[in-house]
Amino acid sequence: MTPFTPILETLTRQRGVRASLIVSESDGLVVDAHLRFGQDGERVAALAASLYRKARLSAGAARLGTVVFLQLDAERGRICAAGSSVVGHSHEGRTDLVIVVVADPAANVGLIRMELLKALESLA
Amino acid sequence: MKIAAVEAWVEAPLKRFVDDARARLALLLHPSGQVLAQAGFTRAVDVMTACALAAAAHATAGELGRQLDGRGFRGLHYAGLEKQLYLAAIDTARGVYICLTVFDQASSLGLVRMYFDDLSRELTAAAPPLIALREPALGADFERDLDANLSALFGRAS
Repeated sequence: MTPFTPILETLTRQRGVRASLIVSESDGLVVDAHLRFGQDGERVAALAASLYRKARLSAGAARLGTVVFLQLDAERGRICAAGSSVVGHSHEGRTDLVIVVVADPAANVGLIRMELLKALESLA
Repeated sequence: MKIAAVEAWVEAPLKRFVDDARARLALLLHPSGQVLAQAGFTRAVDVMTACALAAAAHATAGELGRQLDGRGFRGLHYAGLEKQLYLAAIDTARGVYICLTVFDQASSLGLVRMYFDDLSRELTAAAPPLIALREPALGADFERDLDANLSALFGRAS
């Protein structure tokens, strides 16, 4: 049990959510994860962290401000992510944590988004 | 990025790895320090130095692992201010090889490790079986083999 376990359990309880992870944006490694059977946590973490970092840099370069929520819809699933740095939160001094959710295509993104943003609040 | 390999079966998997992981430099070598393939290096002398240091670091980490954990450490990561390196071994039908990967902020340790796993699988599948046993690493012909490999990679050793 880590300090992140309750946050991840709450996210994974949402209907259609296959995995939830807390990832370090800078090195793409899993800090903690709650995975359903068949999910490759390390692969999702590396790719989602890279995706989030690129989105954050792109938004900055385009002068759009900070990335609040990132959503990738694919044929067989979707990835949602939100970063702790965007709301100025840090967990024990770390501001590069990204919460990532992997969900079914039919999952309710509105609910996932709400839970993700609530989870960010708990990271503070 | 320019990629050169002493043995052709290594080239395509290494190129894919370098492209996917957005590595700045990559080196595939025998644990003795003999180079098998390189990506991103422009001078033979740099390859020679990197091979010697990577082989030494791998041997050190392996021995430390054996002392501490009963078996050699498989992967090693160093993070500098701008550049990082990942050093890990790959088991193939032709024996063990070491891969040294240098990357910067365009990539991450997670990405490099992920694509390194793919590289390991591809090299393991592509490696032709070893017909003859390899000669001792520090045999009398080590220097000759080293020069031959560097010549194959750079046209001539410099």
